[in-house]
Amino acid sequence: MEKIITMMGPMLDGVNVTLQMFFITLVLSLPLGLLLSLARISKYKPISLLVETYIWLMRGTPLMLQLLFVYYALPLVPYIGIKLPDFSAAILAFVLNYAAYFAEIFRGGIQSIERGQYEASKVLGMTYVQTMRRIILPQVLKRVVPPISNETITLVKDTSLIYVLAMNDLLRTARTIVQREFDMTPFVIAAVFYLAMTLVLTWIFNKLEERYAAYDE
Amino acid sequence: MNMLRLKNIHKRFNHLEVLKGISLEVAQGEVVAIIGPSGSGKSTLLRCLNRLEIIDQGTIEIEGEILATEDTEGKCQYVSEQKAREICFKMGMVFQQFNLFPHMTVIDNIIEAPMLVKGIKKELIIPEAEELLKKVGLFEKKNSYPSRLSGGQKQRVAIARALAMKPDIMLFDEPTSALDPELTGEVLKAMRQLALEHMTMIVVTHEMAFAREVAQRVIFMDNGDIVEEGTPEQIFNSPEQPRTQAFLKSML
Repeated sequence: MEKIITMMGPMLDGVNVTLQMFFITLVLSLPLGLLLSLARISKYKPISLLVETYIWLMRGTPLMLQLLFVYYALPLVPYIGIKLPDFSAAILAFVLNYAAYFAEIFRGGIQSIERGQYEASKVLGMTYVQTMRRIILPQVLKRVVPPISNETITLVKDTSLIYVLAMNDLLRTARTIVQREFDMTPFVIAAVFYLAMTLVLTWIFNKLEERYAAYDE
Repeated sequence: MNMLRLKNIHKRFNHLEVLKGISLEVAQGEVVAIIGPSGSGKSTLLRCLNRLEIIDQGTIEIEGEILATEDTEGKCQYVSEQKAREICFKMGMVFQQFNLFPHMTVIDNIIEAPMLVKGIKKELIIPEAEELLKKVGLFEKKNSYPSRLSGGQKQRVAIARALAMKPDIMLFDEPTSALDPELTGEVLKAMRQLALEHMTMIVVTHEMAFAREVAQRVIFMDNGDIVEEGTPEQIFNSPEQPRTQAFLKSML
């Protein structure tokens, strides 16, 4: 028991890093994903093509490769080369990656709304922006809650990839202690922490779904 | 006064010409029923009036204001987006599939556009919306979501929603076609009421009894053309064109 308590200090620091990665990525990638989805369905072909290519790149390569690229290779790119500290580099890679996935989820949601909703809005005199903001997106939110919930839970666990930048998140901290003390307990503790986080998320998303269930379609 | 003037409207979907030069004038307070077989272009014609479809050729004039016309080279030109929107929201539209906003209650469905588009304050529009709901007999449903309503009730809310924008012209695109037969009566009743109040109405419909009873003019369309038009007596009792006769016979 005493041993577990001494482990808890560094493990909680790890949890802190994991949670920070999670929240900052989520808060930045959701709005970015929404913007990308709107650009993706834009009538202007160059814009939609550009975003389509971007999404293909982000979904077509491993997140770990993107992490390594932003941290190690970005500084070497001529003109735009910047050297980011490890945390910022990780956030940048995660946001770019997750925004691509969220964009596709939002796009699916937007395109699932019947044409009649746009037509009714149009004949009532609403502009495109008013239609999107008041009529389409509120309905999209209801429809995308399940897939967004899925991605969000994946994000909790994907944060463990930042070990490649030698950042001490929950999992890397656990492994360090295991290797030092030849005791598997930190793995169990890490698993419990991940489970607790996803449990909270599942609960939140269930509440959201319940709230949206106020209206059926 | 002419509420609406169409001159030589042509509309193509790819290579299929669905409107082949339609001209039509509708006077203030007139109720016009458009009948005809499916695929005759009657819904498309209605949808061209408020830009749900863009015409390829011709002139559209709403209450004396030009929405679309031909330039000197004969190409169809619409007025600016802003101007077109202002012209078009003088026309209310009721759809076959209702198209209520499912995430809003009945009352919110009605007040949304007046608040958003016209900037009317909520406390001013709520009494008007409640009045409209009473008129279509759905006041007690004002806080329900559309999914809790029957088809007939949904369509009556849709009518109230369109009226909340205080339109001068109401367009009905087969308003009873998606309804169970026993629910069409309540919708037709609301429309009849509107006609009695001298609303200018253009109704695309399969309800021959309604067209006969309520419309002042009946237009029979087939294959993208107006084949015959006249008073209900003329069209239903002594149609001149063989196509009109054949269609009316098939509707019996």
